[in-house]
Amino acid sequence: MATDSRDDSAIAAIRNRIWFTVMAVIVAALALVPVLGTSLSFSFYLMLWITMATGLNIIAGFTGYMPLGYVAFYGIGAFATAILTKMFGVPVYVSILVGGVCGVLLSLLFAPTLKLKGIYFAIVSLGLAIICRLVIVNLPESWAGGSYGINLGLSISPVVTFYYMLAVMVAALLTITWLAQSRLGKALRAIRDDDQAAEVMGVNVVGTRLKAWMLSALFGALAGGVEAWYTNIIDPESAFQFLVTAKTVIYAIAGGLGTVTGPVIGAIVMVWVDDLIWQRFPIFNLFLLGLAIILLILFLPRGIVGSIIQRKPSWRRYIL
Amino acid sequence: MTYLILNGLANGLILGVIYAMIGVSLSLLYGVLQVKNFAHGEFLIAGAYFCYVLYNAFDLHPLLALPLAFLCFMAFGWLLNNLVMPRLQRSDDPMLASLLVMYGVSLMLAASMLLLFEADFRSLDFSFQPISMKVGILYLPTARLVAMGVTVAILLALAWFLYFTLPGKAIRASIMNRDAVQIVGVNINRLSAAAFALSIGLAGASGVMVSMVFPSFNPFVGVDYTLIGFIVVVLGGLGNPMGAILGGIIFGLAEQMSIVFLPQTMAPIIGFSIMILVIFFRPNGLLGKARGT
Repeated sequence: MATDSRDDSAIAAIRNRIWFTVMAVIVAALALVPVLGTSLSFSFYLMLWITMATGLNIIAGFTGYMPLGYVAFYGIGAFATAILTKMFGVPVYVSILVGGVCGVLLSLLFAPTLKLKGIYFAIVSLGLAIICRLVIVNLPESWAGGSYGINLGLSISPVVTFYYMLAVMVAALLTITWLAQSRLGKALRAIRDDDQAAEVMGVNVVGTRLKAWMLSALFGALAGGVEAWYTNIIDPESAFQFLVTAKTVIYAIAGGLGTVTGPVIGAIVMVWVDDLIWQRFPIFNLFLLGLAIILLILFLPRGIVGSIIQRKPSWRRYIL
Repeated sequence: MTYLILNGLANGLILGVIYAMIGVSLSLLYGVLQVKNFAHGEFLIAGAYFCYVLYNAFDLHPLLALPLAFLCFMAFGWLLNNLVMPRLQRSDDPMLASLLVMYGVSLMLAASMLLLFEADFRSLDFSFQPISMKVGILYLPTARLVAMGVTVAILLALAWFLYFTLPGKAIRASIMNRDAVQIVGVNINRLSAAAFALSIGLAGASGVMVSMVFPSFNPFVGVDYTLIGFIVVVLGGLGNPMGAILGGIIFGLAEQMSIVFLPQTMAPIIGFSIMILVIFFRPNGLLGKARGT
């Protein structure tokens, strides 16, 4: 964005203050959920999707890659967490962090795909996620539980898990807030808009992209790990389900890719809508979800925040 | 062992031809409209149910259901084109937008089939007489041989349409250069609607074939066929219908041969790995144009 380079620090300060206030309100409201005893599960998944949408935003929104296999990181995080906890007796909150590292390692393994573009990248990424699932299904049952999955066998304390998820979400939000304003974020946007021009300007295209890819993977894997802890049982079919990627992408787009606030707002609105549909029309849920996606893409292609910025360009200065 | 290998090759070829048809229809839609039809597999499964219903309710022969499915699905494709394309053409990122819209369509289709037919696996209780035929030293199911014959005939008809008729040439021309075709005076909107209808019609017809060849189907297996379609198309080169035929046969052979040598669950891994390797060495697919942006 051309305005970014001319940003004067006063506007940046106001913008940050608005965003941090919004973030503080969201975090405070969520932190109070277990105390007030409102729906724990709903809020847990809300935080999960905010984290996922924000993680995806790092790679899709800031660099223009659409990883249709994003669920691979989520799945690998979940399985690494489960295997470490169950087989090696590692305390679960450590396993989750190691699971996050596994996600980053996987992203390094997949790094060569970043030289692909557009639909090729999207499809190869989807293929890799399916290969991950098949590899886990084909591993010896004593390791990864085969197609039946793993029961973590933890004594569940939903509230502790809830706060762990909150911590992961806050980490994701702070990371993207920093990213959007850092040199790295500007380099990423430059690459997204024109990678050759960015290269000429001295941006290390390959290295910069890789950083975004790793960060994106980290948060996907952490979210998967916490979810494995929360449900206490995982299986390859659901841990690598395409619907996870689809929801992440849709929630992020509903808010608006490429803005920090967009995917957060998108996730909040859409998780709520999804929940409402699920309650009212349990059988029709999938049908209505499909319809909602179509209407969203056709009539609000830039998402909620994206459309606001499009209508009132001057607000760009106040929305991160 | 020789028998197994030969059997694998024969089945690979038969399935490969059917995969090719899935790929060709997907590729048409991509080539002309740049639409990534993520609902292709669901249309295909809907075609399978179409045949299933006609056979169970009216005792209609699957080979007669085929042209009916083709026409009905064409009509649906034309309708869908008119509903979504005008807005899709104007979006910022048509590639992502079309993919997601069609994903929405796939969810709606899968949910509708779930409501109508429930989640159980269904199979077409139909068999040709005799059930299998001797080809050389191999015994192959008649249904598979018939399906292969029909598919080859459809592919030939399609090739004739694309290469020797004016509308077919216009479709290929619009794959090559959308703007130039309009300058020559082709009504691109009508052409797009035709391509959309043709593609969905072929998907429905492939579904009839799938119901004959594969033992069972349910509302959720559509996505597997969508993926096969994408692999085949990407293997052969996006926007090149002939490439999709090559891709389909390679994928079918690779899949069936890996079943001969490896545990069955490993076969899909081989298919995906081949696709990924090909993309890395030939980023535009086997028959794709040399890279140049």
